[in-house]
Amino acid sequence: MLAILLMAPFVWMLLVSLHESRSSIPVLRDLWPKEAHWENYRFVLLHPDVPVFRFLLNSLVVAGAVVAGQLLVCSMAAYGFARLRFRGREFLFSLFLGSMMFAGTVTQIPTFLLVRQLHWLDTYWALIVPGIGSAFGVFLLRQFFLQIPLEIDEAARIDGAGEWKVYWKVILPMSRAALATLGAFAFIATWTDFFWPLIATSSQDMRTLEVGLSIFKNSYNGQNWPLQMTAAVVTLVPVLAVFLLLQRHFVKGVTIGSIK
Amino acid sequence: MTRREALAWLAALGAVPLGCREFESSSVALRLANWGGAGDDSDYYRLVKQIYREFEAAHPGVILKVEGVPGSQEYVTKVLLDHVAGAMPDVMALDASSGAVFIDNGTLMDLAPFVEKDKAFSLGDYFPNVVDIARRDKAIYAIPTDFTPMVVYCNAAHFREAGVAVPTGRWSFDDFLSAAQRLTRQGRYGFEFANWMPGWVMFLWNNGSDVLSPDGSRATGILDGPRSVEAVQYLADLVLKHRVAPSLSQAAATGVDLFATGKASMKVVGHWYLASLAAFKDLDPHEIVVVELPTNLPQSVTVMYEAGQAISKNCRHPEVAWEFLKFWASQGVQSRYNQSGIAVCARKDVAEASLKGEPSKVAREEAFLRIVPSARSPWGASVEGYDRVEEFGQKAMDDILKNGVPVQAALSKAAAAIDKEFALR
Amino acid sequence: MKRSGTPYFFIAPALLHLVVFGFLPIMFALWVSFFDWKILKGTMPFVGLGKYQELMNDPGFGNALLNSAKYALVSVPTGMAVAVLVALLASDQIRAAGLFRTVYYIPAVCSTVAISMLWIYVYLPENGLINATTALFGLKSVDFLNEQGWAMPALAFMSVWVGLGPRMIIYVAGILGIPPSLYEAAELDGARGWRRFWSVTWPMLAPTNLFVLVTGTIAAFQLFTPVYMMTRGGPLDSTDVLGYHIYVESWKKFHVSNASAQSFLLLVVIGVLAAVQFKLAKRQLEGYSAG
Repeated sequence: MLAILLMAPFVWMLLVSLHESRSSIPVLRDLWPKEAHWENYRFVLLHPDVPVFRFLLNSLVVAGAVVAGQLLVCSMAAYGFARLRFRGREFLFSLFLGSMMFAGTVTQIPTFLLVRQLHWLDTYWALIVPGIGSAFGVFLLRQFFLQIPLEIDEAARIDGAGEWKVYWKVILPMSRAALATLGAFAFIATWTDFFWPLIATSSQDMRTLEVGLSIFKNSYNGQNWPLQMTAAVVTLVPVLAVFLLLQRHFVKGVTIGSIK
Repeated sequence: MTRREALAWLAALGAVPLGCREFESSSVALRLANWGGAGDDSDYYRLVKQIYREFEAAHPGVILKVEGVPGSQEYVTKVLLDHVAGAMPDVMALDASSGAVFIDNGTLMDLAPFVEKDKAFSLGDYFPNVVDIARRDKAIYAIPTDFTPMVVYCNAAHFREAGVAVPTGRWSFDDFLSAAQRLTRQGRYGFEFANWMPGWVMFLWNNGSDVLSPDGSRATGILDGPRSVEAVQYLADLVLKHRVAPSLSQAAATGVDLFATGKASMKVVGHWYLASLAAFKDLDPHEIVVVELPTNLPQSVTVMYEAGQAISKNCRHPEVAWEFLKFWASQGVQSRYNQSGIAVCARKDVAEASLKGEPSKVAREEAFLRIVPSARSPWGASVEGYDRVEEFGQKAMDDILKNGVPVQAALSKAAAAIDKEFALR
Repeated sequence: MKRSGTPYFFIAPALLHLVVFGFLPIMFALWVSFFDWKILKGTMPFVGLGKYQELMNDPGFGNALLNSAKYALVSVPTGMAVAVLVALLASDQIRAAGLFRTVYYIPAVCSTVAISMLWIYVYLPENGLINATTALFGLKSVDFLNEQGWAMPALAFMSVWVGLGPRMIIYVAGILGIPPSLYEAAELDGARGWRRFWSVTWPMLAPTNLFVLVTGTIAAFQLFTPVYMMTRGGPLDSTDVLGYHIYVESWKKFHVSNASAQSFLLLVVIGVLAAVQFKLAKRQLEGYSAG
């Protein structure tokens, strides 16, 4: 039952995407298309002027780099905040928290000007670098690291492990589920972001899937729901594939933790 | 820190400067920005792409870098942000409805010197009031490509069925109402009303009123003046009192184009609608008749939504950009571009050449051309931030139609809010 | 390796990033808020605290603040309660089930835009999912997103559902992170079902709870996309929340200075709330933190 409820948006998108291009939003009783218009997918995927696979590559490169960057940068900081004692710790942590509370819409203009000063506009750098640090990520991992009993790293330290080794060999392996969670969030946020890649890139070759495929939104007369949903499904499928491949990591934390 | 960690750090820092990407080559790259057109029409895309390639072939060493920004609101935001950062594209498509913000903030180049110097180009080839949309005194900021006056689409079969004559000239608000009443029947509305202000502001004009004062500086006393209230009350009555148009929630609930599916007999919309109607099988194209808007004035007035091409002030290659504008607006290119049927060509020769072929089509195109001299430019072409005015107008209409707010109260509130925003500008 | 610089080594990369891409833009916004920056004209006269004074007398801003507070008050606790419940149900299945695990992540994965479109359809009058269903019982159709009393509850209800995915993922990870030895110990003491939940799961989830509460409050005050997609602040400004209000100020009116000043007031509001939340959680967290 719950699974059906959770599946609903995806199923709805899929069904709408199979309706005839330019037709209106189907009501519930017409939701099942009389005939499946798979040509919508051919149209979107093989459009001669819309390099879908280039968009896909961009999205993969950008999301992959952001995930890798965030996992390393945030877990290091979270380890520092959760496990180590140092002067100004609470203050520094509150700075991270504070930065989250500031409305993102306002910082976009200065960030845009900054990225322009760095000559990063229309490059991967503009899409990746602003995303690799995340106060949200630091906070999330810190909270998970706090859950791990302190005795575990103390035992490792007594065995002569340095901080890097405790972080890399003890805490990280025990936090697979947490890391996978942050990775998933970072991946999803980067993958579905629209506004920043829209303003930070201008050439078609630098567009991500979300931005590149948004051209299917409009027809002469209002929105083209079926094509828009086709584009949404095309955007979504790679993400689901990544999740299917990596899903075992979401539960790994427990098993490894219990072996210790 | 171990040595390995330190090395990793250095490598990371060293990689950063590689991110700089500057274009340095002997060829000229011209950046063109537009709002991406209709993504679900591949013929249109193919044609435009081919036109770009032809320009490159005719101008060796020039590369066109097209920057399509999907969505009209996103397009305006993106190009304005480029302007703030000093990185405007060289050439931009300029929509009349958002023209003022670009022209009046000095983002565009005055094209008058080019027009004067270039004997191969004549502004006389274009409809004069279409050219005037982007004119400020002697300065001209865009060369128009195409435009569309807003008109009433009628389903002639429905009119015959109801025994109502399709109007051929001026008709009043009362004529429109009585036609709509006689056209309305079970499962069919006389008029398909949508709360989209660019599609209903002309009813204010045709009742001798307006949204803003003539200089565009204030809304109080105009938008909430007696003649505006009367016009908006008229529209609200069509929905709420006479029920010749669906309520907005009924329209949203069906989610279909009522006119195109034969569920409404009249609709106010522009030329682009013809291109989309072709996709609807229920509608016989011969039965579509285009007539002027109903009016309480001696002469009906409508609005003209237009698109043109402009050159940015910081364009690095103005001469090349001008060549592109000239090429884009030439008869050869425009006669092909205009075949998409989205709008009326701004060139008189091309527009008149479209008057051939099947008689009902010729009649429609003639109707559009007849209306051109009486069409006004939209407020957005002369008032910066007019999209906000439209938002307030639509909100007022929503409040009236969906939440039962009296017309006068809703319009007074909107007018006051608009004036307040203008004061902060 | 035991050097006093080590902790700073761990936080340096994140801190550097925070300074460049967090504080630099925020400081810029702070500076801008003392001017009247006409971003398109390029003029920038100094106005001191003028923008902040304006806000104190701006009923529109007050309305937005109130709407945001209402929204947060309803959606945050409800959202958390629902997410914990679902996460408890789901965590066993996620542990066990194979392929269908991914199902649980779908709501989190779908872009907000697509989800907002689905919900527009759910809330449509007459033919929408809810109205089509209630019509079977003879109830009158409601235009949820366009009637004053309904729009805000409709948004809050949707946000509970939409936020369920991400929140649930966090809770599932939190639940899976609880060392099984604790459950074994509880079992030896005879704790089962709800008792086990209250004696082991809930206390162990304290850090997760704090996280979801704080980030949930922040997100609630910054709510933007669904409002932008579905109501545009209407009807009658009843869904004009701060996140949307600031967006309009910044990107529609290009009043960057006003938007900056509003963001700083918002920062103060959320900051106070977060400080209270941390204080309340402090007791629960004792024994977990290293300091």
